[in-house]
Amino acid sequence: MLTPTVWDASLFHASPQLAVSGEFVLRLIIDGLMIGIIYALMAIGLTLIFSVLNIVSFAHGEFYMLGGYIVYFFLQTFEALPPLLSIVAAAIVTFAVGFLFERIFLQPMARGEVERPNEYAILVTFGLAFFLQFLMLGLVGPFPKKAHRLFDLPQIEGTFFRTTKATLFLGDITISAGRLFAALIALLALAGLLWFMYRTWTGRALQAVSQDRNAAAVVGINPLNMNTLAFSMGAMLAGLAGAVLVTVYSWVPWVGVPASSKSFVIIVLGGMGSIPGSLLGGLIIGVVESLGTGLFPDPARAQAYRDVFGLVIFALVLLLRPTGLFGRKL
Amino acid sequence: MRKSVLVFLLTAVSMLLLVACAQQQQTEAPQVVEKTVVVTQVVEQEKVVTQVVEVTPVAGRCAPTSFDELGDNAIKIGVPIPLSAPGSVTGGRAMQTAVNIAVKEVNDAGGVLGKYPVDVVFYDTSGLPERGTAGMEYLITSECVVAVVGEYHSAAGLTEKEVANKYHVPVIFAETWNDDITASQYPEVFRIAPASSMVAQADAKYLSDVGVSFVAIVAENTDYGVPASEQTKERLAALGIDSETYLAEQGTQEFGALIAKIQEDMKDKEGLKAVLVLITGETSYNFEQQAAEQGLMPREDVVGIANQVAYNADEFWQNVPDGNYYAFRRVGVVPALTKDNPVATAFVEAYEKELGRFPESYAFEAYDAFMLMVKAIEKANSLDPDAIIAALESFDSPENGVQLAQGLYYFPYGTKNPVPDDQPAWMWHQWPDPAVLFLQYWQEGQSAEEACVVWPKQYQTCGDTYWIPPGTEPPVTP
Repeated sequence: MLTPTVWDASLFHASPQLAVSGEFVLRLIIDGLMIGIIYALMAIGLTLIFSVLNIVSFAHGEFYMLGGYIVYFFLQTFEALPPLLSIVAAAIVTFAVGFLFERIFLQPMARGEVERPNEYAILVTFGLAFFLQFLMLGLVGPFPKKAHRLFDLPQIEGTFFRTTKATLFLGDITISAGRLFAALIALLALAGLLWFMYRTWTGRALQAVSQDRNAAAVVGINPLNMNTLAFSMGAMLAGLAGAVLVTVYSWVPWVGVPASSKSFVIIVLGGMGSIPGSLLGGLIIGVVESLGTGLFPDPARAQAYRDVFGLVIFALVLLLRPTGLFGRKL
Repeated sequence: MRKSVLVFLLTAVSMLLLVACAQQQQTEAPQVVEKTVVVTQVVEQEKVVTQVVEVTPVAGRCAPTSFDELGDNAIKIGVPIPLSAPGSVTGGRAMQTAVNIAVKEVNDAGGVLGKYPVDVVFYDTSGLPERGTAGMEYLITSECVVAVVGEYHSAAGLTEKEVANKYHVPVIFAETWNDDITASQYPEVFRIAPASSMVAQADAKYLSDVGVSFVAIVAENTDYGVPASEQTKERLAALGIDSETYLAEQGTQEFGALIAKIQEDMKDKEGLKAVLVLITGETSYNFEQQAAEQGLMPREDVVGIANQVAYNADEFWQNVPDGNYYAFRRVGVVPALTKDNPVATAFVEAYEKELGRFPESYAFEAYDAFMLMVKAIEKANSLDPDAIIAALESFDSPENGVQLAQGLYYFPYGTKNPVPDDQPAWMWHQWPDPAVLFLQYWQEGQSAEEACVVWPKQYQTCGDTYWIPPGTEPPVTP
């Protein structure tokens, strides 16, 4: 039996750390960049949809959630197959869901068959978000799931460089294997996307439609097909972000809500409709959040203020450049 | 002449005798005196009076206050629990299952007092204060519940107790630890979970026994986490252990930078260190896995103490696959402590049938809170809130207590026996005997039953060790 004692609360006190090592700052930057790349991947999907279809998809977070669950169940079901295939599966399924949704629900709007297209777009994407969220809640339940990291690191012993199956040690800097693989896959996906957008005819067609739909149509580009492609690709990018992060975070059906909010901040920060802006915005938010949390002098509040650090930068950029970093002037 | 003299003499003697007698009678005549006499008289008087009593109406409360008013309806008991984010869905579902088992058990036995069936009304609070208020309002004014049991999160519980007090509805909190739940000393509010201060004391003693010199307390920024971290810090300081608190929002996913910060802060600390997780529910998994992956803990020189949901082994290993050698707190009984208790055995069997695992502490508490309320209604033989509260208060000692699955419940302090000055205010309507144990996993994927009980000493199952360093085995295999 415990013997209760009289409670006498004391207040927290900040313990400011004035001396900060360079290794620590470097670690925070690396950490911020790794998570920032994944933020960027998701935000680029949202900006692609906005720039081509001129709508904001409120179901973007749910595609992120869907991508994560596909990887989780793929790895559970097909243990013998190479784990990277789970990422491919997530990309294919989220692309397909995005494709079907755009064809069935958004094409009528693009064809002018909907009276109030702006309101319709908001409602129909919100509807999709709720549908996907509660569908998954019904299918998999509310309990958290987490996919195992795609690969374990080989165990290496060294003085400066050493590894365990889960952790990479570079001197005092430690990097988690799951996070490292997630960032590398996201980086590859980003590289592929940029190549597609800037080096292929279809990618350039997408850019053309985003700049001027009528002019693009005059030169033989079908804007309706580009709409479908943009929405499907946007959904796929969100799905890819979820697919790599399900190995880092525990996954629940409502996991997409905060991720979606972050994407909105990033695309406004980078400039609505700008792919380079979203890329840079994602990296900035990732690094600022990491540095802010690590260097904030009151340890009791540092993590609690994490989102605030990114939003302060967001507010400052909007104050100085209301169109965002790479936004076009309206 | 002689004859005349003789007659004269006889007459004279007779006269003298008569006079003498007359004089004697004259001296014994009654005298008039004043005297005080005390008379006790019992008078029975029956009087019919009309009394005007001022009563404060409890507007909106619609529960019946007697079995006559109940009629053919079931007795409704409200159960606010978290069933969606950001609350602990794991905790809420476990409590829901436990309460359903209790309801079935009561109704299978014919109901309360063998004739009044009970009905349960769940409300999803998401662990949020505003939903706690809304939930209690709904349960009391729309569902007409007679009493309330449950809740997992202190943040919601703190607002729920205010509504219970407003409508004068008895409530037994099952898993809310914040001291203020009972410290406000509302007549309606009872608690069978430990108060934060009790747990903080156990945490500090355990860490002291392990021999740590520095503790990083990672707490959620809620009405549970903030006071719990303050109390733990205070008790650690009293034991000469340095500590630092790191707060995080409930529902946070990304902890990378915070983990880096803790590692940086610990770099200069000598000796054995510890990280104590005071984050509830699923959020704790995110922190624990990321901390393990980033090499913060568990290590030879860093004791990792996970949140109590780690007891749910299947879920823990799925979400914290690198969590081997995490220790975790267990409030309440472990399997070995239930074997001699038929109530516990029956509940464990029913729970394992439903969810396939040994009940968590909050499941035990939810079951017991419901059954205790039923016992109180039966003892009160009434649905009147005052009668139910009086019945609960009558469980005031181990001798008058109620044996349920987790222990022998009683509330030593209440209206009749106020909390003395040398005891904390939260001892009001507080069960004083919850057991606090520490367990530790030492093999990947093992069940909670296979984990070692490492503290307190009298319950140790793996030999005389408070901490199994990573990479080693316990001295004795359970």
